[in-house]
Order: sequence, then structure tokens, then C-alpha cells
Amino acid sequence: MSRSGPVKGLLVAVVASVAAVAGAQFHQHRHQRLPIVAGPAVARVASLSEYGEGLARTMADTKVFFLQGAEPGGSALIMAGTHANEIDALLSALIFVENAVVEKGTLIVIPQLNHSASVYTRPGDGCPLFYGIETPWGTKVFRFGDRGASPLDQWPDPDVYVHYPDAQLLSFLDARNTNRSWPGRPDGLLTERVTAAVMRLLAEERVDIALDLHGAETMFPVTNCIVAPERSMRIATMASMTVTAMEGFENHVEPSPKGFRGLSHREIGDHSDTAPFLLEAPFPFLDQPTGPKTRDLLMTGRDPFLLSLAGQQKLFVPYDESGWPIEKRVGQHCSVALEIINQFSRKRADRAIRISEVPRYADLVRNGVGFYFHDPSKADPARVHLD
Amino acid sequence: MANPLYAHIAAVLSVMAAAYAAARWRKLGVELCMLAAAVAGGLAGAVVQTPPIGELARHLVEGTFTYLDVMLVFVTATIFITIVTESGGVDFIVRAIVRAFHRQHLVALLLLMILILIPGALTGAGSVSVLTVGAPSALAMGHLGLSKRRTAAILFIVAGLSAAAPPVNIWAMVICAGTAIPYVGFTYALGIPVLLLGTFTILTLGWRRDHRVSRDEALRAMPQPPPGMNWWRVLLPFGAFFGTVAASRLWPFATPVMGLPLQFTLAAIVALLCSPRRINALALSRDTVRRLVPLLATMAIVGSLQQIMTVTGVRGAISYAVIAMPLALLYVLLVVLLPISEGLLTYGAAAIIGIPLVWYLDSIGLHATIVIAGLSLLWPLGDGLPPTALIGRLTVMVSGYEGSYWSFLKETWLPWLAITAAGIGMIVYSAKLSALVAWGL
Ligand SMILES: [Zn+2]
Repeated sequence: MSRSGPVKGLLVAVVASVAAVAGAQFHQHRHQRLPIVAGPAVARVASLSEYGEGLARTMADTKVFFLQGAEPGGSALIMAGTHANEIDALLSALIFVENAVVEKGTLIVIPQLNHSASVYTRPGDGCPLFYGIETPWGTKVFRFGDRGASPLDQWPDPDVYVHYPDAQLLSFLDARNTNRSWPGRPDGLLTERVTAAVMRLLAEERVDIALDLHGAETMFPVTNCIVAPERSMRIATMASMTVTAMEGFENHVEPSPKGFRGLSHREIGDHSDTAPFLLEAPFPFLDQPTGPKTRDLLMTGRDPFLLSLAGQQKLFVPYDESGWPIEKRVGQHCSVALEIINQFSRKRADRAIRISEVPRYADLVRNGVGFYFHDPSKADPARVHLD
Repeated sequence: MANPLYAHIAAVLSVMAAAYAAARWRKLGVELCMLAAAVAGGLAGAVVQTPPIGELARHLVEGTFTYLDVMLVFVTATIFITIVTESGGVDFIVRAIVRAFHRQHLVALLLLMILILIPGALTGAGSVSVLTVGAPSALAMGHLGLSKRRTAAILFIVAGLSAAAPPVNIWAMVICAGTAIPYVGFTYALGIPVLLLGTFTILTLGWRRDHRVSRDEALRAMPQPPPGMNWWRVLLPFGAFFGTVAASRLWPFATPVMGLPLQFTLAAIVALLCSPRRINALALSRDTVRRLVPLLATMAIVGSLQQIMTVTGVRGAISYAVIAMPLALLYVLLVVLLPISEGLLTYGAAAIIGIPLVWYLDSIGLHATIVIAGLSLLWPLGDGLPPTALIGRLTVMVSGYEGSYWSFLKETWLPWLAITAAGIGMIVYSAKLSALVAWGL
């Protein structure tokens, strides 16, 4: 007894200090906000809760940027951060918000759709809490997130998640996945409230096309592609063919499966007048057989295990020593998104949306991603929004 | 190919193994051995910035949350069934079985098998089966003429099958969530093999009686349920639990999400109210949690270990080794690889090996749902293997077997082989078995 007392005390002190250090880091991750510099076209910055009262004062409320053209036209929505661990989506969306000049129509951007997921990393997966992007004015720091909303905001999980309204049974983990909760319910789970609010936004703002940006494992069969339901198929095919022919990266179209509920490319098409598109770019960081989940892997996508598997034809994307760098991934998203908007505008001249000053694939490969982010400390404080 | 990363990962893995062995040598418990491996591996990784030393504490702590929900289910489900046991409910059921089927001991054993399957099927944890209905079932098997060793063997195998049984199979759920395959269509794909294999286990291990006990003698030796105990009091608590499950399926959009821990708590309260004996709920909960501490500690530390393995690249390297293997060799190695990975990592194995494996097998034309079902039959076998040997240790504890651990494990060889053959067969011939999924829908 007399000897174990001090030992126990010491152990408790060690555990308490380890927990305190970790706790402080979790707290910072949950509460640090991302400064976004509103670009020249941003006319209004709303909160998603304006379209769904159930989101007000929750971690799931998120910023919605309205980029207004001088001339009236159609309307397009870009959503990123559906899965907050697929970082290329957010980076691409911010490039639109901070740089786009809209000549005709309206562009709406939601950079962090599942905001709650952006303040949480999944236990067991060993991800970094933050990552930095080098810019001409210094490092811009971003939160790394997760595929699902934080359990601090939506808990407990059901034993089995029942999708609304089709009653399809899905894994309990998908209850916190905003790409399984479409079309959502205003009074449902937090993730259902998020998608329900976006459905209302699509209707009220008369959105013609909605783009949902993602990243996919190189071992995942659906990547380097646009996933589109019947309604979006023609535009997706034209956009995909155009970027493949003109810009020198691979892209193809995947039909949206009918029997798999809750996904944006399925439910938006079935429950609204908007034509949905889901964009996938390869994101090796998510693959299981990789080395440590480092910031370097996040940026370069370079990994010796994946390279070896590529040699055995076990990946679904071309892969070499150069990995899959962030400039290419973000460049693909920007080009495909611009091309979808372009193809839609050609087909529907009355609802056209014309955007300029957004870099395409070649620009990003040349200049890097950070080149397109603006220094919040030099910007007009009224134009800096914390998300 | 001489990427320095390979050397780093190999070095971390050796440090982890050495730390584990050293802790084992000092006769520390499995949880502490794994903790030593996690901390040492993290420190070794920090030498090359994977993880950066400033993040090591966060990784260790974050990892312990990996199985928090599973741990809560363990605790609440065990408290629930312990109340049912304390109230005399389990004794009541076991007596009824022995009284009715003493002559036809195989029928009695099959009914006991169903009884053991239920808690694990509902919670996804074979340990809940062992901790709850394990002791009285083992007692009944003894009175039906089985030796303690064969009783323990049956209990272990059937408890493992109960974890794989639908509706809740945690291995399958982890893989489904990680591969974006819906967790549907498992009812028959898992239910039929589990029932067949369970029956096979009973027939092979239970056929011969080691000693004969007369019915009256057996009933006299068994604990008496308290006066006033009846079928209503036994079944109502289970009804409360199934009621909440049924409500969430029948009216999914009108029923609030309760979560399994709360559902079990509700059932526990009903069981408390139904008990003819007065039960001190607080003391019972305290004792139950104390009994579960080694299990809970293992779950928490496994999460930590898994996170350290990921952040150092060890997890990726293991996952790579599995996928890079030639297919024929893979099928052969799965026989040992799956149980061993379970013994090392418990549910973490499903994420590390299962997710990339299912993607790969799916891409070469196998039926993913059947593959997952087949894989998840093999994992529970590993719950008898060290270092964790979760269910194995618990089984020996509740069945009162006093021989060596290995002699108990050897007794399971025939069902073990049958389960392995069934699991691998389901994987290899998954495309032909897809009808099992179609029925399930
Ligand atoms: Zn995604």
C-alpha cells in the first residue's frame, strides 16, 4: 500500500496531463474558424439556417456565398465539404468564392456543407487536425475534418440508419453522413436538417444545376468522374468529353445508381427541378494501404505502397512516382465545374451563367493552389468571413 | 524500391513488438501490454515525425474513443442481462428447457444454443452472450451430461457465432461504413450459416454424454427460480427491448433515435420492475462494471493502438501486404490471418484488412455482401486467440473449466474447421450465393 500510493498518484498525473494536452488541441480544432475573403462577385453572405430554422445556433450552420452577376440569368450551386476529409473540394470552392467574377446569372457556393464534420476527426484514423497551404503571403491554415458529422453534435447513432423517405436500411455510421441524408427533413437528424435546408435553397433560389465536390480513394472504382442521373447525363457527358479532349486529364461519366438512396446525385434529381452532378477526383490520402497519414501525403498524394499496387493493376486511376498532387486534384475540380456550368449555359441560353477569373487545370498546375487565396489581414475586414 | 519509409515502418513495428513482449515478460495484463506497444510505437514514429511529437498525446487519447459506443453497449447490455439473471429469469428458462427435454438432450442443447445466440446477435458482441446467459447455460449443459471442457468449447463457438449473427454484426458494419456498401441483405447471408454452423457444433460436441444425470437429480441440483417467477416476468424485459427495435423499423420517422445503450437501459428498468426478487440496481451495476473493466480497457487501448498503427504507417503496410498477395495464397492465408488479426486488434481488424480487401475482391467480380458475411464468420474465432482472447477468457471463467487454456481451445477444432471452410467457401463462391442477399431484401 505505502509503495503503490505514490506510483498511482504519478500515473494519474501522467494520464491527466496527456488528456489535458489532447483536450486543448481538440478544443482548438473545434473552435478555430477559417477566414474566407469574399471575392469581387460576392454580393451576399447568408447562413444556411436562413433556409432551415433547425440549424440555427448549431455547429451544422454554415456560410452560403451568393456571387451575383451584373446581368440576370440562371443559377448554379457549388457544394464542398459534404465530406470534410476530402479537402480538395473545399479548396476548389474557396477559389471560386475568392476569385470568381460573375458576368451573368448567380453562383451560390457552400464551402463547408457538413460544417459539424469539419470540426471533428475520426478516432482510430490518425489524421492531422490542421493542414497548411503555402500562399505568396504565408501559410493559410485549414481544419482537417471527417466524413461524418461530429458525434458531439449528433449522437447517439441509431443501430441501423433508416433513410428518409425510402426507408432503405444503411449502416449506422451513415446517419452522420450528409451524402446519405438527402433529401432530408426539416425536423430530422442534424444531417437531414442540413440537406433539407439546401433543398429549400434550391427551390427558393431557383437553382438550375447543383455540383457536389468530393475526393475518392484510388482503389475506389468510382473516381476521376462525374456521377450524374438521367436528367444531368447529356451535360455531364459533354463536359467530361470537353475537359478530356482540351485539358489533358482523364474524366468519365458514371450513371447515378437508382437503388442506392440518400446521395445528392440521386435525391436532388428525384425531389427537385435542379440537375445534380457529383464530382470525384482521386484522393490517395483516403486509401487504406498507404504509409503514415502525413501532411505531405495530403499535399502530394505520393505513396510507395500505392505505387506498387499501381504496378499490379490494383488501382482505378493512373498512378506514377509523381503521386497525385493537390494542384492537379483541385485543378480538375475547377475545370470540370466550370465546364459543366459552361455546357449548361450553352444548352439553356435563357438561364446562362457566365463566370471568369477562375483558374482552370493548367493554371493551377502552373501556379499552385495557394496562389489563388487572398491575405485576410490585408483585406477589407467587412469582406472577411469566418466559417 | 528502397524507399526509407519501409525501414521506418519496420523499425516502428519492431519497437512495438519489443515493448509488447517486454510488458508481457513483466507479467502485465493484455491491456497494459498493448498500451506499452502503442506508446513505444508512437515514440518511435515521432523520431521521423510520424506523428510529430506534439501530436502524440492527442493520437493516444483520440484513439481511446474509437470504440466508445461499443463499450457503452457492452455495459448497458450486460447490466440488462445481469438483472434478468439475478431476478431468476435465466434459471427459469434453463430449468424449463432441462425439464422438458432432458431425455432428448440434443433438443435441449439446440434450445440452449438459440438462447446463447440471442444476446450476441442483438449487440454484436459475443462477450455479452457469455457474460449473461453463459453461466446458467454451462450449468445446464453439465446437467445434460457434458464435461466442462466440451461445455466451454460449445459456449465459445456459439458465442462467436452470435456475434456474427444478424441483426447486428459489428465487423460487417465497420466494413460497410468504410466501403460505402449498404448494410442490408445480411439477414439470410449471415443467419443461415450461423444456424447451420451452430447446429453442427452442437451435434459434434454434444452428441456423446460424458456422464448421466437423472432428470430429477439435475433439477434438484439446479438453482431454484424465486417463487412468483413466470413466463411473463421473463419475457417482458426482452419484449421491451425488441419493442424499441421494432418501433424504429415500423415507424422509423416517428420514433426518435434512442441508440442501443438507452434501449438496453430501458429494458433493464423493465427487468428490474418485473423481478420477483428485490434487486439492488446500484450495487449490481457497480459489480457488473467492475467485472467488465478488463474488457473495456482492452477496447479503449485497442483503439489507441489502432490509431498509433495508422499514424506510423504500420496499419497501411499490413493492409498493403494483404492486397498485394496473389489471390490463391490470399484465400489460404485468410484462414489464419483473420483470426490472428482479431486476436491482436479485435474490431480494428475489420477496418485495417477488411475494407481494402472487400474493395479488391469486389473489383474482381465477387459479391461484396457475401464476401463480408464470409469474412465476419472467421473473425470471431480469433476471440479465442491471444493476446486479447476476449471471449475465450470469459468462457473459461463462466464455465468453471479448470484445465489449461489450450486444452479447451483444442476441443473446438472440429467446429473451428467447419466455420473456416464455410467462411472461405462463402468468399470464393460468393457470386453463386448472391441469392441469399436477394431473399434478405
Ligand atoms: Zn466524398
